[in-house]
Amino acid sequence: MTKIETDHHDGTSDATPGGYEGQRRPGELVFGALLTLASLVLLWDAWGIENTFGPNGLSSPRAIPLATTLVMVIAAAVILLKDMRLPRVTGETVMKDILPTTVIIVAVLLVAFGVLLKPLGFLPTSALFLIATIKLLGDRGWGWTIGVALACLVLIWIVFRIVFTVLMPAGIVPEAELIQVVRNLFEGAK
Amino acid sequence: MKRFVFGAVSALVLGVSAAAAADYPAKEIQGIIQWGAGGSTDTVMRSVTPHAEAVLGGTVVMQNMTGGVGAIALNHVAGQDADGYTLLMGAENPLLYKVMGLGDKDYSDFIPISILARGTPILVANPDAPFNDYAGMMAYIKEHPGELRVGATGPGGLPSVVTAMINTVEGKMNVISVPYDGDGPALTALQGGAIDVMPAVLGAAIEGIRAGKMKPLAIFDVAANPKLPDVPPVTDFNAAYSTYLPWGPFFGVFVKKGTPDDVVAKLAAAYAKGAENAEFKELMDNRGFNMLAISGAEAEAFLAKWQQGTTWLLQDAGLTKTSPEAFGIARP
Amino acid sequence: MDAVLAFLTVFTHPELLLLVGLGTFAGVYVGAIPGLSVTMAVSILISFTFSWDVHPAIALMIGIYMGGVYGGSRTAILLNIPGAPSAIATALDGYPMAKRGEAGTAIGVTTVMSFIGGFIGIGVLAVAAPFVSDFALKFQPRDYMLLAVLGILLVGSLSTGSLVKGIFAGALGIAIGAVGRDPLTFSERFTFDLPLMQGGISFIAVMIGMFGVSEALMQLHHVNKDAVRQQISRIVPSLSTVKKHLPLSVQTSAIGVLIGALPGTGGDIAALMAYDHAKRVTKNPERPFGDGAMEGLVAPETANNAAVGGAFIPMMTLGIPGDAVTAIMIGALFIHGLNPGPMLMIDQPDMFWFIVGALVMANFFMLLFGLTGIKLFTKIVEMPRSVLIPLIMLLSIVGAYAVNNSLTDVYWMLGFGFFGYFMRHYGYPLGPVILGVILSRLLDDNWRRAIISEREDLGRFFHGVFTSPLSTVLFIAVILIFVSQTPIWAKAKAKLLGGSGQGVEQ
Repeated sequence: MTKIETDHHDGTSDATPGGYEGQRRPGELVFGALLTLASLVLLWDAWGIENTFGPNGLSSPRAIPLATTLVMVIAAAVILLKDMRLPRVTGETVMKDILPTTVIIVAVLLVAFGVLLKPLGFLPTSALFLIATIKLLGDRGWGWTIGVALACLVLIWIVFRIVFTVLMPAGIVPEAELIQVVRNLFEGAK
Repeated sequence: MKRFVFGAVSALVLGVSAAAAADYPAKEIQGIIQWGAGGSTDTVMRSVTPHAEAVLGGTVVMQNMTGGVGAIALNHVAGQDADGYTLLMGAENPLLYKVMGLGDKDYSDFIPISILARGTPILVANPDAPFNDYAGMMAYIKEHPGELRVGATGPGGLPSVVTAMINTVEGKMNVISVPYDGDGPALTALQGGAIDVMPAVLGAAIEGIRAGKMKPLAIFDVAANPKLPDVPPVTDFNAAYSTYLPWGPFFGVFVKKGTPDDVVAKLAAAYAKGAENAEFKELMDNRGFNMLAISGAEAEAFLAKWQQGTTWLLQDAGLTKTSPEAFGIARP
Repeated sequence: MDAVLAFLTVFTHPELLLLVGLGTFAGVYVGAIPGLSVTMAVSILISFTFSWDVHPAIALMIGIYMGGVYGGSRTAILLNIPGAPSAIATALDGYPMAKRGEAGTAIGVTTVMSFIGGFIGIGVLAVAAPFVSDFALKFQPRDYMLLAVLGILLVGSLSTGSLVKGIFAGALGIAIGAVGRDPLTFSERFTFDLPLMQGGISFIAVMIGMFGVSEALMQLHHVNKDAVRQQISRIVPSLSTVKKHLPLSVQTSAIGVLIGALPGTGGDIAALMAYDHAKRVTKNPERPFGDGAMEGLVAPETANNAAVGGAFIPMMTLGIPGDAVTAIMIGALFIHGLNPGPMLMIDQPDMFWFIVGALVMANFFMLLFGLTGIKLFTKIVEMPRSVLIPLIMLLSIVGAYAVNNSLTDVYWMLGFGFFGYFMRHYGYPLGPVILGVILSRLLDDNWRRAIISEREDLGRFFHGVFTSPLSTVLFIAVILIFVSQTPIWAKAKAKLLGGSGQGVEQ
């Protein structure tokens, strides 16, 4: 059997992705099945693509999508069949090695970030997110956590909002008005 | 610090209690550019807006929002508040969205701040093409049906409208239409010989013509253009074109319908003044655009006429998904 | 003589020198932060430099461009998160080195090699721009299509684990690239009739999700582990190291210049192709590829910096952008009253030489800033993971939003982040997904253009392929590379060489 580099099997480096050769990890079968199913749905959808304004031959907008989704279905099916014959890795469980509680919590926080970003606005959402995750991961005092979180947020905000004028959703904080006030102050000082 | 806090708080109070036009703009204005960075819409907007900003006494933050032939940007602006803090900087395409089935909104949901300029189409060919003018091209197509490769930029783009015009006036041409994602890549392909003929906007082709990398066949206008006085207008070859000409793509700045009148007036005045800037005028002239800088009822009339003419032309050429009639666009 | 004077403009004007330096310095950071891109920075500079003269404006932009292309490698090496698409290949071997505490060496080699690549690119621009642009124009749609197929075959060398999983990932990438309204016919593809799908999926959002968020989620498994201490005593690589890799770097720079000069392909594809080339020609790397091979750093970094000079070739000679950044620079030239196009070289040759001069200067500054200030960067990696991980996540979100100012991209980014997390766990390589997305449009659009031009006739299509020398060469390359990845090749080789060929193919 091939030697497994324990340093790499968690997939931290893309060049040597996780997974074991000759064994399957917990949940791998379900993942493979989902991919096969999704590929089939995409293949079906690709078949339905039509060119409204022209012919549907070799030059159709469906040609390449049809070919690629077909490859996806075949590849996913081959992977699934191969996996089914492999023995399971002993000593690994989904809860311990694939989806530990921390990962689930952070994932939920990320989803919450996405949901709240528009109604609440960028600054409050990011502040909440940073404080929650840094506290969760760092296990340090509240003062330290909040201080570090806000300092980082201010830095990011200055780079993106002021220097690069990326207008993130303002939400409940009247960012634009505040910036205008500061701008007026500066111009007044000149 | 105290003063800053006080200022911020008072601004907040003001912002909430009186969002009146008297102090417009009280914050930075967002300008959503329908097309990507480096394109003609982008270049035009980024060169006129600083002059308008100076008049307005505010800041306009310009952002490119691409995708869906510009529909993503249009729908985004339509979804914002009608307070004059989000501008749509776009081109002619939205007027065709409805008939092409690309969306259910167009400029009728917006108020034109300024229609800045209009371009002129020109037919250019690879220098090795076996003809030298429009008449020669038509003769070549008759002798070699299904051989000539004409560049296109997707349904509703300038080439498709010009092609529809030719088909309507001269009868259907038997050519191969090769699609590109913009006139830049198509003109590159023309110089490389991947296509033979390309209908393009004058400004995009003018430098290539000057260098002899492509040859002009005819200008799609009723008179020769001062930038290229030797190139004959297409009406010289067939007078029937004058029904549809002058025609051309345009650039404009818009706000959502429902924006307070005084805000619209302020913006319109700023852009009208900005468009008068000498440097901007020179830039537009160099690129072969005709300055319009119209707003208000004049701009509305321009848009309505443009939409009627173009949608019905495409409809008659069989290039639309839904008839303009279904959207109450009357035949011109 | 005028040309020499124009070339020296940058060197003789302190304020221009300062601007190039400033730009390069800022560029390194812009490139390193996954959410900030050179394209963004340059388009903001258009408004910022609006009232300036053309020379300082262009000087600043060129600095940012050069620094930004290089900066992408920093985070790729230190965090396994490529700061820009052109640094994806750099992460493959750079990160394993950093894990061993050799980040200093990796960054040193990367910097010197980027410098060499940059110089070769600028050299070709200065000496042979008209020839290269004539050659680039010869590429017909079918040649671009063959080039895309050649690119897709890289899946083989990017998936060290299971090849089938790599193929799946590559195909998935091509499908992701097709989502949205097809730009040629406006047909809806994979949109499931949802308006938010019409704009397609931003490729940067996919990249940030798969490499940024999924990497950060992965790191959650080792929150409490101490960061690897980096040795940064020896940064400048020894002359013998540079000498050893010089032949390879010249080859990969050539790939970079050509791919960069082709309108429609840029540094990202060039870097991946160069990586593949290095893997093919390097017989005995000191460490295997994917485990910290020096050649795996040399190839992509020379190629993507050489592509900068390459991208300027069609821009300066024809007024055709070589990539997204040069497209914006053309706009900048317009705004400053110049008329970029084929006549620019004839009407205003001094502009050409000014740009060459500024590029040379930016390249030197890149070397300077690359070899200094590494300490600060390594400090970032050594900061507590409990802060680093949330920060990476926040940067990913802001970065995905900034691409097109759309929340939809943020959702896609998060989705692909979660998906990528599972892919990593189950041994699916992520590189091919990005490769697929990059090549999707190139393959799809050009295949359709090619076949439409031949009136949908496959016979005429192949006739075209074999009557054009360029297409024939590309076609043969595709066949050869394809066959070399199949087991038949390994068997034939083993037979011919009597067993000595064993172990070359994996």
